[in-house]
Amino acid sequence: MFYLITFTLIYLTITVYFSYLGYRRTVTVSDYLLAGRQVHPVTMGLSYGATYISTSAIIGFGGVSALYGFGLTWLSFLNIMIGVWVAFVIFGKRTRKMGKALDAHTFPELLGRRYESRFIQGFSGLVIVIFMPVYTAAVLIGISRFIEVYLSIPFSTAFLAFLLITACFVIWGGLKGVLYTSAFQGIIMVVSMVAIGISTYYSLGGISQAHRSLEAITPMVPHYLQEAGHRGFASMPQAFSSIWWYVITTMIMGVGIGVIGQPQLNVRFMTLKSDRELNRSVPFAAIFILCTTGVAYAVGALTNVYFYNTYTELPLHAVQGNLDKIIPLYIDRFYPQWFVALFLVCLMSAAMSAGSSQFHALGTSLSRDIFEQALLKGKSVAETTIVTRIGIVLSIFATLIIGLVLPESIVAVATAFFFSLCGATFIPVYLFGLYWKRGTKPAAKASILSGFFVSLIWMLLFHEEEARALGLCRKIFNMESLAGHPWNMIDPQIIALPISFIVFIVVSLVTRPVREETVTKAFIHI
Amino acid sequence: MMLGFSDSWVFAGFAFTIVSALFCVVYGILNWRKGGMEKEGDYREEIQWEREEIELIEKLP
Repeated sequence: MFYLITFTLIYLTITVYFSYLGYRRTVTVSDYLLAGRQVHPVTMGLSYGATYISTSAIIGFGGVSALYGFGLTWLSFLNIMIGVWVAFVIFGKRTRKMGKALDAHTFPELLGRRYESRFIQGFSGLVIVIFMPVYTAAVLIGISRFIEVYLSIPFSTAFLAFLLITACFVIWGGLKGVLYTSAFQGIIMVVSMVAIGISTYYSLGGISQAHRSLEAITPMVPHYLQEAGHRGFASMPQAFSSIWWYVITTMIMGVGIGVIGQPQLNVRFMTLKSDRELNRSVPFAAIFILCTTGVAYAVGALTNVYFYNTYTELPLHAVQGNLDKIIPLYIDRFYPQWFVALFLVCLMSAAMSAGSSQFHALGTSLSRDIFEQALLKGKSVAETTIVTRIGIVLSIFATLIIGLVLPESIVAVATAFFFSLCGATFIPVYLFGLYWKRGTKPAAKASILSGFFVSLIWMLLFHEEEARALGLCRKIFNMESLAGHPWNMIDPQIIALPISFIVFIVVSLVTRPVREETVTKAFIHI
Repeated sequence: MMLGFSDSWVFAGFAFTIVSALFCVVYGILNWRKGGMEKEGDYREEIQWEREEIELIEKLP
């Protein structure tokens, strides 16, 4: 307890200081000319990484990796290649230039102004406001599971307590210094995760030996998993089996591709001054992702060796099937108490950096996209502040309720759900908005609506995991899913994304383009 | 056995993860000085953007 209180107090003091520093730096416009706003590439890289990688990657996907094994390493590849390189270079550079040219300050606003559509801005904002709390809940569940294991307190108490801490942080200025605090939080995450990665591999006799030991326990994989296509923790699942479809389309591609449509990440590019800062941030963000997700997924799989060697049981059984508890239990059982307290601070960093950016995106969507643009038709009024505050408080309540009603082993699933939904809804309009001048307003509307609703219908009626949890399909059709294997295992994004792409292209070709002046203005710096 | 993995797909994923991180580092180094000067000192648009950004942040709790 001594370590926990000491580390937490040090962490919170530094976080509040950075928060204040970040806020002070954005106070005056003249600061901007004096390079007050210039963002150091390390700050940008770490801050982006800490926003992207949250407790859900470490706890949720670490736990998933403990169940499905090293196949998840493909997700860390996509996290780096798509989540960093493609996001920064292919999307980030043009987002920054177009964002400034169109005076856009939120992701929905960029889309709305590019296609001259208040509907697009309002609807995109609505998607964020309604569904972001699911992801925020997943992030907070991640850390709450750890607190539950570490302090042996009920999950609901841990969840409520941490949500209150995050809410206070957000309400007392957390949102104003997001960039600097998240960079500091990023450093804590890198240090802790690298320590876990090195100590895990070291104690298992090195990289190759650790992987060989993992292969050696393949016969221990439960029979029902083997039948579903599990071929061991150091192997990919059997091609085209149920587990293969699930791991590839939901866990790897859902998050790996869906990152491009994440509003709280895209908005970061607009705060940069030049492409040079973007170029320089790429290596730092990539190293960050390698050190955090790369380590989390590898350690997740290797927990099997640890638990088996020590207790002759797999971690899956040690946590009674709740995947979200595997990493917490591993850290709690196999590391000294001072490190466990440090790891909790690492998770706090991960939860707060992602959480504050999520509330930031949520608050700006509510005030600017929904209230001022969609409802007040572009007017800016003093009441916006009150509406935003009420909205954020309501979203904190929504997060609380969602967090308490969600079932076990949900962190990675809820994260994949949000990433997948954003991916299918936003990626085509975003990509064509940046690269294709011929894209039209009706096409953008149709693409967003088709991506969103096809995803939703697929989740409710076809994708067995969500369909079973939500129960609508059972009520109407008296079955778990309307489709058989493999369709019931294919992630909604894999179906909805191609559809929203095709809809965008086809509708663009038969409808009137966006006004010439708007297109010229949008592409003026490109 | 490559790094202790007998499944070549898993080895490929493991190797690609490290190679992609290295690729990003090389990309950053090669483009370290590129993209700095774009608008020849015309910051009016950026100042306008910054002013609105501050207003927007002020409206948040």
